[in-house]
Amino acid sequence: MHRLQSLRTFCLNHSRGGVSAPVLCTKPRHRKDTLVQKRAVGSIAQEARKETADNEFKATIGLELHAQLAASQKLFSAASAQWNEPPNTNVCAIDAGLPGALPQLNPRCVELAARAILAFGGRVQQRSSFDRKHYFYADQPLGYQITQQHYPIGRGGYIQLGPTDGLNYSKRVHIHQLQLEQDTAKSIHGVYPGYVLVDLNRAGVALIEIVSDPDIETAIEASTYVRKMQTLLRHIGVSNCNMEEGSLRCDVNVSVYRIGEDRLSGARCELKNLNSLKTIRGAIGAEIARQTEIIRKGGYVEQETRGYDARCDKTYPLRSKETAPDYRYMPEPDVPEIHLSQDWIERVQSALPEMPEMTLARVRLQYSLTQEDVATMLNEPGCLAFFEESVQGRDPKRVSSWITSEIFGQLSYRNQKLIDSPLTVQQFAQILDSISTDLITSAQAKQLLIAFMDGEKRHVSDLIKAHGWEVIGDESRLQGIAEDLLEKHPKEVAGYLKGQTRRLNFFVGKLMQLTKGQAKPQEANRIIRKLLESKR
Amino acid sequence: MPSKSGGCSWLIRGFATTAAGAGSSIGNPITIFTSSSALGEIDRQNPRLNALASSVPPAAVSDTLDKTIHGPLQEWPVVVKSNIATGGTTTTCASQTLAKYISPFTATAVDLLQKAGAVVVGTSNMDEFGMGSKTQFGIYGPAYNPHQIDASRHSPGGSSGGSAAAVASGMCRIALGSDTGGSVRLPAAWCGVVGFKPTYGRISRHGLVSYASSLDAVGILASTVHDIETAYHIMAVPDSKDMTCMSGSLRDRIDSERPLAGIRIGIPQEFWVEELTESALDAWRHGAQQLAEAGCEIVKVSLPHIPSSLPAYYTLALAEASSNLARYDGIRFGTRSSVRTQILALANASLKYAATRSEGFGPEVQRRILLGTYVMSDSAYQHYYLPSQRIRQLIQREFDQIFALPNALCNSSIATLGNQHRPDGVDAILFPTSNGTAPLQHDSADESSQVSSYVNDVMTVPANLAGIPALSVPVRHSHGMPIGLQLAAQYGDDNLLLQIASHVRLQSCE
Repeated sequence: MHRLQSLRTFCLNHSRGGVSAPVLCTKPRHRKDTLVQKRAVGSIAQEARKETADNEFKATIGLELHAQLAASQKLFSAASAQWNEPPNTNVCAIDAGLPGALPQLNPRCVELAARAILAFGGRVQQRSSFDRKHYFYADQPLGYQITQQHYPIGRGGYIQLGPTDGLNYSKRVHIHQLQLEQDTAKSIHGVYPGYVLVDLNRAGVALIEIVSDPDIETAIEASTYVRKMQTLLRHIGVSNCNMEEGSLRCDVNVSVYRIGEDRLSGARCELKNLNSLKTIRGAIGAEIARQTEIIRKGGYVEQETRGYDARCDKTYPLRSKETAPDYRYMPEPDVPEIHLSQDWIERVQSALPEMPEMTLARVRLQYSLTQEDVATMLNEPGCLAFFEESVQGRDPKRVSSWITSEIFGQLSYRNQKLIDSPLTVQQFAQILDSISTDLITSAQAKQLLIAFMDGEKRHVSDLIKAHGWEVIGDESRLQGIAEDLLEKHPKEVAGYLKGQTRRLNFFVGKLMQLTKGQAKPQEANRIIRKLLESKR
Repeated sequence: MPSKSGGCSWLIRGFATTAAGAGSSIGNPITIFTSSSALGEIDRQNPRLNALASSVPPAAVSDTLDKTIHGPLQEWPVVVKSNIATGGTTTTCASQTLAKYISPFTATAVDLLQKAGAVVVGTSNMDEFGMGSKTQFGIYGPAYNPHQIDASRHSPGGSSGGSAAAVASGMCRIALGSDTGGSVRLPAAWCGVVGFKPTYGRISRHGLVSYASSLDAVGILASTVHDIETAYHIMAVPDSKDMTCMSGSLRDRIDSERPLAGIRIGIPQEFWVEELTESALDAWRHGAQQLAEAGCEIVKVSLPHIPSSLPAYYTLALAEASSNLARYDGIRFGTRSSVRTQILALANASLKYAATRSEGFGPEVQRRILLGTYVMSDSAYQHYYLPSQRIRQLIQREFDQIFALPNALCNSSIATLGNQHRPDGVDAILFPTSNGTAPLQHDSADESSQVSSYVNDVMTVPANLAGIPALSVPVRHSHGMPIGLQLAAQYGDDNLLLQIASHVRLQSCE
């Protein structure tokens, strides 16, 4: 492998202008969309039907999702596919398009793509091949992208949307095809005036493009589909699907038709670079409104590619059909056809984990948990496995509530993922057991949890000893302290006996104070009440 | 090293049993080849021939010799075509766009030769990016044929003309070339040396700068078939850096032993074209006669689609070329235009590309890129590219029908191919390498028509389209200029082809 350390940053001494939002509207218009994202899952269902064009028009929507594969190396080179490293440090000869360098297909990427299509219930193609898609761009080192236009690796399958996803109806979004392709390099504008900087680290990283059939009809359905896809791809370990980091990107095709006409009759517009669930919803809503308005006025929608300006909630033209590039697709001659045996496909299939839908149903049933609890855990990568390991021999409700409230609270405070946390299943289980055997109180348990999530390595029992936290389980010892207390505060005792029952709390508080919290409050309450009653 | 040296006495009846086949056509056949004799010839002859793009300084050569690597090619002086990455020196493809480009890696083929003891003494002149048949289109200017009559200066052929001229003039023992449509065989024929294009995928393309990836092959030029065979076996190994390089298991399947009794040579009648000169025809007859005398059965065969091969070839080769050459944008490496674009507009990027590529590529390369871009465009793809692919498949199928050995790529289920030998098929075919002898380098009539220069390739492109091995051996001279004959065999049948070729000898009589 030839690393090109000398190629730190490539400069191109001109400004390409980029796709900064053009001045389309000066008055920012606030639409209800900004509110939509804040609504709870339940109310999205009502919103869903409203988001269709209106009573007269309907929309037909298809999505192209680009997900970066969770492979450690690039699609056609041995360079690391790691995100967020110093510019131009993960570059092999082929990633820079050096003369004489040839692509070498990474089998791991083929396996991950196969996993994905099988998880959708689709078919892995026994024969698939690569094509070159040509265009000149500073972030396209070869002058073409290696993709799978004609014979993709996967076809078919679907994503089921329904009540578990916040819709009040069910529908299937079918997968048209799933293809393997290269990511581009990153062009960086505006850092160095008059220049465009190019970072090749991302050049050649493996993507899968998942093309849906145009089954989607509303903006909410579209964002629900993307969210569901995220969960699924994370669950099967195919992609991190992190929209902020760019490991999941989305293009949308929208067309509007008059109810009663063919649903594919409208001219479709492609919305590019929608990189958050909010923009996906916003852009589709704005585009449906725009197209509906044109048709209503008797005009024709032009087929074109458009961008979305979230500030004024409008889409704007990027390029028309006339100026659309001719990609001059050609079979990739440097990479032979991929031939996959039925045997190999079956092995990938059998290595798939349980699908989230199945997991959700099973975990709910097996542990009698609520839909919300399981769904919350399902959305955090690795969490259900964590739950299922730590629940062994323990109360499922208690374990899940500790995970979803205490652990998730800490994770969100630390802006951390569970899989990145040093907390182990063993540590968590010891904490839970220490509470249930009355060794420590919940307050102390929470402190232990924080320590472990900070990276504490010592054993729970050692920590308890170190803090001097052991609960005083010895009743006679507590009784002795309580008797002393009563003797020292005769006034309060008299008050209690006169019917001032809240005096009980005074004594419990004192007792807790004296024992530095090592007594269990319920226990202290019971002992003191018994002593006070005996004085009647 | 797989070799079928045993059991071939039937073929060599009446001939001397030396391994050497065709001798050097230039004066004394070189018997003991050393790096110093090669360096001497470079000094003496290169100013006249312009065969080399760069030569390694004698001090550097003796440095390499001091660190002697013991191997089968020990101290063999080698010249490498300028489009094959060679560590430590420029890999220019004779193009302005790569005029100062030094590859950070060495091509697999060169690496293997060096590990076997060979010493690179220079890089050779060529047509820019391999696009040409005369070694005239490149930043180094035209190269000349070592065979010179009076004051006329002939072309060495192209695009590996520098490599062929270097071998013919004794500047090296073997030279590497690249063969996309005959670029090794045509200059070999015109310079009177042996030029071999192995089966597609036999030698790794890693480090060979792509022209048309599905047709490109690293080829070998030498004075004798024996030297070619020796170098070929060093380089013909699997390489994970080239996915189109044949796997070890595929090689094992093809190279398994098979009966050698009754070699049949086919004479494909479609090569009997109008443009064929009398001397080329004469050479063809003579070659067939030699093989018949050696005990081969000579039969007529037909490849009906050969006439369509030239348009199909140019469509596919130029489409791939326009794609492969898209990377030369001057951003990451290579020459970038110094023209500063004035307007800060969206169109700026394409202006910059246009300036860089217009300055970097010569007129022939630009012509081919434009043609290739056109045939791949949305509207032309259906009418040019796809029909050309179909013709390519037809030609491949026609070759499969005439050869005795089945095509290993179409018979993946067959464990060994040797047993599947078809008795009514032929083992190799014999036909001219070119229509005639080398033309003058500066032939004004020829320059008037670009199309006529493409016609030279009609004999050589079918082997590239089918991916089969083909080799040109010198057989005669006509008016002092050498003529070559071509032998081609089934996909993967390189060993047999070399064996048959070693029995075709140059006859010095006119």
